[in-house]
Amino acid sequence: MSGFDWLFFTEVSLAGLGAGALLALTGLAFVLIYKATKVVNLAIGEMLMIGAYVFFSFTAGLGLPWWAALIAALAAGGLLGAVVERAIIRPMLGESAISVFMVTIGLGSVLIGLVELTWGAAPTSLPDFMGKAPVFIGPAYVSRKIVIGFAVAAAVIAVFLIAFRYWRGGVALRATATDQGAAYSCGINVPAIFSMAWVFAGVAAAGAGVLVGAVGGISPNMGVFGLSALVVVIVGGLDSIAGALIGGILVGLIEAWAGTYLGGEYKLLTTFGLLLIVLMIRPYGLFGTVEIERL
Amino acid sequence: MTLTRRSALALALAAGTALAAPAALAADDIVIAGSIPLTGVFAFAGVGVHAGIQDYVKIANDAGGIEGRKITYVAEDTAYKVDQSVAVFNKLTGANKVHLYYGDSTGFAKTINPELNRRGSILMAGASFATELNDPKAYPNQFMAGPDYTEMFGILLQHIAKVKPGAKVAFVNSDTEFGRDPIAPSEAMAKKLGLDVVVKIVTPPTAVDVSTEILKLRRADPDFTIFHGYVLAPLPEFMTQAKQLGLKTKFMGTFWSMDNSLWPKVGDAADGYMGVMPYRYYFDTEGKSSMLEKIRAMRPEYQSTPYMQGFLTAMLFVESARRTVKAGKELNGANLKAALNSIENFDTGGIIGTPITIKGNSIPVGRVYRFDAAKKSMVAESDWIQLGK
Repeated sequence: MSGFDWLFFTEVSLAGLGAGALLALTGLAFVLIYKATKVVNLAIGEMLMIGAYVFFSFTAGLGLPWWAALIAALAAGGLLGAVVERAIIRPMLGESAISVFMVTIGLGSVLIGLVELTWGAAPTSLPDFMGKAPVFIGPAYVSRKIVIGFAVAAAVIAVFLIAFRYWRGGVALRATATDQGAAYSCGINVPAIFSMAWVFAGVAAAGAGVLVGAVGGISPNMGVFGLSALVVVIVGGLDSIAGALIGGILVGLIEAWAGTYLGGEYKLLTTFGLLLIVLMIRPYGLFGTVEIERL
Repeated sequence: MTLTRRSALALALAAGTALAAPAALAADDIVIAGSIPLTGVFAFAGVGVHAGIQDYVKIANDAGGIEGRKITYVAEDTAYKVDQSVAVFNKLTGANKVHLYYGDSTGFAKTINPELNRRGSILMAGASFATELNDPKAYPNQFMAGPDYTEMFGILLQHIAKVKPGAKVAFVNSDTEFGRDPIAPSEAMAKKLGLDVVVKIVTPPTAVDVSTEILKLRRADPDFTIFHGYVLAPLPEFMTQAKQLGLKTKFMGTFWSMDNSLWPKVGDAADGYMGVMPYRYYFDTEGKSSMLEKIRAMRPEYQSTPYMQGFLTAMLFVESARRTVKAGKELNGANLKAALNSIENFDTGGIIGTPITIKGNSIPVGRVYRFDAAKKSMVAESDWIQLGK
């Protein structure tokens, strides 16, 4: 293929990797909660939105520097996760998976209402905090925000992978995920593990929210991004952190190629086509545990 | 009485019912009803539209109503969902004798159309500028208070052809009914005007990152890029990255992306962004505009472009009703529409900067405004452009 523009292909692929990283970071929030508690939390997109809006309030509203606002947003995300787990999810313990699933859908609507009441319904932009100079990798251009998003997502996922392998709390979470009864009898405080998973997921979602908001702006309906990430974790495996990363990158790349060479109308088509194929071959996702209960 | 959970609930219900009960309507009131999206994805517009209709109705009633008859406005929230919109329509038309109706979406306008035609008693307008609705044969009881989306593109393309003949143009649209609406006819129109459509980019409705689309735009290197089917995102990201890459293209948009409150936060990247506006902005002071002065007196803070849309729609509703009542005719869909179509060289009190004539279902008039980042405000870029003239 003599006429093929390799530079263009490289740029498109880099953009796809970056977009995939954002999906992976959001997917991580799904995975953390599912892994520990077997709850599919459909309000992740809305938790992400709250993180972005809190960041917005602290930067644009109070004029704090971006790093202070980021810490505040992450803390708010963690707090939200803790409150939701303690007040809404824990009383549902022992109910059927579908009931809990429906509760998280309701939670999403409540969070959207909260944002509309507090910040209004109009879409807006986050203040720029990532700098403006374009990034070139060799001759290939890549968006600065996307590079930063990729680096952050990769670092955060690496930290979680390491923590789950070596840190006591991480091991306790894995033990709880494998067998709650056995974990209890070994002296692991299972309810505390549930809370911890929700707090970490809240923090991850808030961080993803700030990144997604920086790229795409914020609005009360930005939570739909969570649904795109749900596809990623179903492809990667609902209980696999590495699966979220690889699923995210796979979906990001395929969407970028499809959007470029077939047209934007084919992006979602190829994503959901991939989802169908994965579900047919590996119903539990590429890296998921085989006995996952499907909804 | 101790307040138990049950009695508190009953109390809340009673209070809610009392609030929801409409103010007593007199038998000869002229009723404007509305399916208004006060929550949901279109809430930012619905809130403005609602206030605009309320304000114009107040102005008209303060001036004596329509030949002494009072105008009443009743509305409910639809959350921008067609089924809820239809339920609101049924409820409001069941409880009131409605003459004029504001619909919240293209989907609702198309869904309710057979019912409007069957009833024949209501004239409807709304938030949709869909090209499809601009057809008096298929939609005899509807109109829109501005140009349809294809006409908006027409206004932009005419402006481009004037300032840079033979320019290279890119179209970027969301993959939605709203986004696809004007693309095909506008491509033909661009050709007619001697413009070259070098690339058409489609983005999925949930798109956040647009890096790959920017890469396409960079390769096509257009002089102008017209967005349609969005409100704000992903336009700022397009603009920011285009600036980083030093692209020469100028960005343009259509009505729903033109509210002044959207752009100051985007900052320098949005400097020079242009778009088509059928109405003047709240803060415009050029020329005489009695209505803008009244609006500014009623509401000292900035009012959005959807506010202006609601305000003008209510004005046209009232004007149609006035003409119908004056002629001694019954207030029904056909008579109201005929009265609307009798509007010629009509002064909107400066909401539109040129006298308007409504021949069919739309008002094919608009003007190009440009965002000036230093002033944090939209400024007029072109004169008023009337299509077909």
